[in-house]
Amino acid sequence: MAQTSRIGLRARLLLTSTLVLGLGLGLTGWVLDRSFTAGVVAGAQEQLKLLIYSLLGAAEEDGTSLRFPASLLDPRLEQPESGLYASVSDAHGTVIWQSRSLQFGNVASQQLAKTPSNLKLVPGSFEFRETDGYFEMFYRVIWEANGDQLFTFHAVAEQTPFRSAIASFRRTLLLGMAAVVVALMGAQVLAVAWGLRPVGVMAARVRAVEAGHRERMGDDYPPELSGLARNIDRFIEHEISSRDRYRTAMDDLAHSLKTPLAVFRNALSSGHAEDEKLLRDQLDRMETTVAHQLSRAMAARPVVLAGWTAPAPLTERLIKALRTAYIAKDVTAEHHIPADLVLRCDERDLMEMLGNLLENAFKYCRSKVVIGAEGGSTVRLTIDDDGPGVPEHQRVQVLARGARGDTVESGHGIGLAVVAELASSYRGGLTIGESPLGGARVTLELPGNTS
Amino acid sequence: MRVLVIEDDAGLRAQLVENLKDAGNVVDAAADGDEGVYFGREFEYDAAVVDLGLPKRDGISVIKALRGLGRSLPILILTARAHWQDKVVGLEAGADDYLTKPFHMEELRARLNALMRRAAGHASPVITVGAFALDTARKEARVGDAAVELTAFEYRVLEYLVINAARVVSKTELTDHLYEQDFDRDSNVIEVFIGRLRRKLDPDGDLNPIRTVRGQGYRFSPEESG
Repeated sequence: MAQTSRIGLRARLLLTSTLVLGLGLGLTGWVLDRSFTAGVVAGAQEQLKLLIYSLLGAAEEDGTSLRFPASLLDPRLEQPESGLYASVSDAHGTVIWQSRSLQFGNVASQQLAKTPSNLKLVPGSFEFRETDGYFEMFYRVIWEANGDQLFTFHAVAEQTPFRSAIASFRRTLLLGMAAVVVALMGAQVLAVAWGLRPVGVMAARVRAVEAGHRERMGDDYPPELSGLARNIDRFIEHEISSRDRYRTAMDDLAHSLKTPLAVFRNALSSGHAEDEKLLRDQLDRMETTVAHQLSRAMAARPVVLAGWTAPAPLTERLIKALRTAYIAKDVTAEHHIPADLVLRCDERDLMEMLGNLLENAFKYCRSKVVIGAEGGSTVRLTIDDDGPGVPEHQRVQVLARGARGDTVESGHGIGLAVVAELASSYRGGLTIGESPLGGARVTLELPGNTS
Repeated sequence: MRVLVIEDDAGLRAQLVENLKDAGNVVDAAADGDEGVYFGREFEYDAAVVDLGLPKRDGISVIKALRGLGRSLPILILTARAHWQDKVVGLEAGADDYLTKPFHMEELRARLNALMRRAAGHASPVITVGAFALDTARKEARVGDAAVELTAFEYRVLEYLVINAARVVSKTELTDHLYEQDFDRDSNVIEVFIGRLRRKLDPDGDLNPIRTVRGQGYRFSPEESG
């Protein structure tokens, strides 16, 4: 595969079309030549048959033999070496008549008058032969009127005029074919150049984007390429937005770490022992910030083409793991996610999201956790618990995307904000509501099956 | 209680060892996975704290090796990367609980105590046997309503016996789980502590909480009081 993929698109198209063109035209030429030659030979046969018929018509009985009028229909029979000959022989093979074109010919043409000894012809039928340079037609007949005499009629035409007709046809055919090849190849080169132009444009634009001369790929592509162009544009957008997020996260991090550090520096230089509580608080703040910003940075990478992941087996693993970790708490956890449900999300990310949500549920529930699912173009995963729930005025704050680390409370807040961030990078979402079990219902929405 | 700590960061390892010792445990520390598995094979522990990112042999492989040796001790994993993938794989490999770095030492001690207690089959931090109640979270012993004043070592002996009240505990086992390796292992010292505990827990001599099983050891099994 690696070898064949090196051949360029232009070369592939031209190579295949040349091959097809060569094969197609060759076959056409061969068929044309064959049928023309067959037609010429059939014409010669017809001509010779007609000559024999006219001889039969002109023959007159002369005792036990036949006699032919001095002048015949076809003037070529009268002219020596004219290329058209005829003769008649009796049952013994003796030539009883030959055309004038034979009488004054050379030895070879004298030979033509005789009936070949290998001729086994049933009376009343024709036989056609192609001999060296001649077309020959034989006809055997029983002359009933005069004691049933057997006669063999023999008509001969030289092949030369026919051959030269075929040769001239071939010349014309070759010339025509060559013209067709040139015209088609030219058209092919033009078609390939025109057809591949958008690809060239696309490649040039990618280079321009790389070099920074362009920001987007644009949308003026044929339908076959517009999907690819859209995906490239989406990549570019994600790149830009993740760069922005990264910068914002760094700014936030710098801001929210420098303040506690300043407090530290001051407290250390003051040397008061009672500042320990203050230092501890600042340390906690820094720790929370680091945890939050790291999680955000992890969530803030572009997710453009994620694979398919089935949430059911993942949820089972998480429930099993959390049962081990929360063995002291008697939690009944069950899920109703169909085994064949899949959604568009990286497995690690889905585990991260479900892990955080399920751990919260295990932590805050009294004794029951239920996970449900709804399929479709958007998959809705619900996690219900029978705990105290989240008060309405805190719901938005808990999920606040991009909330600064030092304003987010530690504990479940960070977990949920990370899940919200991750879900949004998949164009999904996270909402908190009330569960029929009495506690919180957290709903995670992720892109599902688009078909 | 005897605890195995496997952590490669020297600073954190020293803090863990110090903290767990302060809490009355005997602590062995290993700096890498191979050493950790060696300790786990050679000695019996009541619990292990295993960092996931270890040199030579990662934490998951250490846990699998310990479980492969048939060790059923509770294992607490520490992880710096807060990925759920790591936690789930760790728990699936045989760990019992996880903590994400950075963590508070109090949290670690509480989780570890809970793990060891549960491993011995006690769900609540307060273990009650007959008239005796042992609060493993607050490290206190009570007889009826009265608190019993115990020294740190006396408490440790009592805790070990109470947690393992279902079976007979030999003197060697007590020494192994309550003394440092290099401590002078004189079984008479244990007898002295048992004697003191008996006097403090049962001054009247009618409950007989710590029984001597001849040739085998001790068992915490007080008389059922009315």
